[in-house]
Amino acid sequence: MWAIIKKEVKSYFLSPIGYIFIGLFLAMCSIFFYIDIIGYGSTNFEYLFYSVSTILTFVVPILTMRMFAEERKSGTEQLLITSPRSITSIVLGKFISAVIIVLITELFTFLYFGILLYFGQPQLVTALVTMFGFLLLAMAYISFGMFASSLTENQIIAGVITIGFFILTWFIPSLSQTLAPFSLINMFDKFPSGVIALDELVTYISFTVLFIVLTIIVLQRRKTVK
Amino acid sequence: MIELKNVTKKYGGFTAVDNISFKIEEGEIVGLLGPNGAGKSTTMNMITGFIQPTEGQILINDVDALKKPKKAKKNIGYMPESTPLYMDLTPKEFLKYMAELKMVPKKERKQNVMDVIQKTGLEEVQNKIIKNLSRGYKQRVSLAGSLVGNPKVLILDEPTVGLDPKQITEIRSMIKTLGKEHTIILSSHILSEVSQICEKVIIINKGKIVAIDSPENLENKVEEGNSVLVVVEDLDNKIMSMKEVIPAIQEIKLMKDLEDGTKQYMISCNTDTDIRKSIFEEFAKAGITIFELKKAEATLEDAFMKLISQKEETVEEIVAKPVKKEKAKKKKEKKEEEK
Repeated sequence: MWAIIKKEVKSYFLSPIGYIFIGLFLAMCSIFFYIDIIGYGSTNFEYLFYSVSTILTFVVPILTMRMFAEERKSGTEQLLITSPRSITSIVLGKFISAVIIVLITELFTFLYFGILLYFGQPQLVTALVTMFGFLLLAMAYISFGMFASSLTENQIIAGVITIGFFILTWFIPSLSQTLAPFSLINMFDKFPSGVIALDELVTYISFTVLFIVLTIIVLQRRKTVK
Repeated sequence: MIELKNVTKKYGGFTAVDNISFKIEEGEIVGLLGPNGAGKSTTMNMITGFIQPTEGQILINDVDALKKPKKAKKNIGYMPESTPLYMDLTPKEFLKYMAELKMVPKKERKQNVMDVIQKTGLEEVQNKIIKNLSRGYKQRVSLAGSLVGNPKVLILDEPTVGLDPKQITEIRSMIKTLGKEHTIILSSHILSEVSQICEKVIIINKGKIVAIDSPENLENKVEEGNSVLVVVEDLDNKIMSMKEVIPAIQEIKLMKDLEDGTKQYMISCNTDTDIRKSIFEEFAKAGITIFELKKAEATLEDAFMKLISQKEETVEEIVAKPVKKEKAKKKKEKKEEEK
């Protein structure tokens, strides 16, 4: 698995995708930092993530859409699948490498924390809890994006499915009260108040696991159907 | 070394590979031969574990490839048909990654990659980005990828497709050298290639095995009658009248009109006697100068076409008589149109 993680992270930066993801994300962060925090004269670093969490909808597909679609299209999946590695380790390797990119990006956002330190006393613990929640949300998103990518050999279709699904989850609360707790983005709201709630934690993690498992199933099945 | 037992692959209602069984011994170079869509790639993909057969058993080095895929895959090096590569990497990086994927122990990895680069002649380009390499080099990188980890079995799917003649000879000789250390299965629809490299040929058509034999035996199998190839200078155009002079001659067919004024003919005769002597004597008497005279040998090409058409005929006769009738009708119509 380590081999796959290493190669995947590297190829994010060999192609422009890694830079586009980080650059776009930080550019949006800066805008929201100016509007939400500097604009209100507050030093609440965690408020940044309320707005930034919506950006994930549009940037996560950049990371995930190529994952399996590209390998399928170029045929390199033949090399992966015929290697002695198990499909589980291939899927986990790809998933973890995308999470690493998000982590790297999150570390950059500490810059804003540093800026706020100059003006006042932002809360470190709340900031860390928020970032942890943000990572969980990103993981859930990545797992779905990866699943979408395993369904098709067309990256664009994978990307559109992903964005479409995320936007759909925004509106779940207004569609159905019973499904409301499954609105991934709304569940994030508690983290910036410094609370790690068990039900949010469990939902995010089980959502992530579900789509990792579904990706594995899709790839396993392709062996027999293909 | 490799054994397939009653392997079948179905896609919905379509049977791509139909109940194939064969065995390949250690150290053999085997050619998998067939027209496009015959099931060559499907068969190879099943051996490498890329797809699963619908039915049947595959043994690699006595390991069941379906029950213990990890162990079986360690013994296989695979060069897929379209030579898929990670275009953003350099050959060296690519091979290193392949070594990691194939679980080559860390200590041996560097040495192994160096060996492979040297074996496939990639030293010059090892640090260039694969995207920018020529087709021939890409093919070599793909071949190198299959060699990483020193697997016992090499599976090469159309290794010379799309290369220029010089590159083809290079890859062929490379494969021949590799055959000393590995068991190789290679697929091709180029017959001359297979007869040059392989010791054994498996011909498949429409998912079924048509023949398994050595290239020589296959050639012998289809050799028919007693034909002679001659190149003559025939200024008075007398060659067609030679039929009457030598009664054994059945047919004289013009094969090629060569640029230097000579012509190549195929002379077939209906008896088992060797007519070369009488041709030599009688042609000289008639004033036809012979430049070349040799027995015509059936090529693998002939064997291939013959075996495949034979099989098709028998199958059609049994299964689809009406289709054949329709075909015959169409042929008739065509002929009439031509008239």
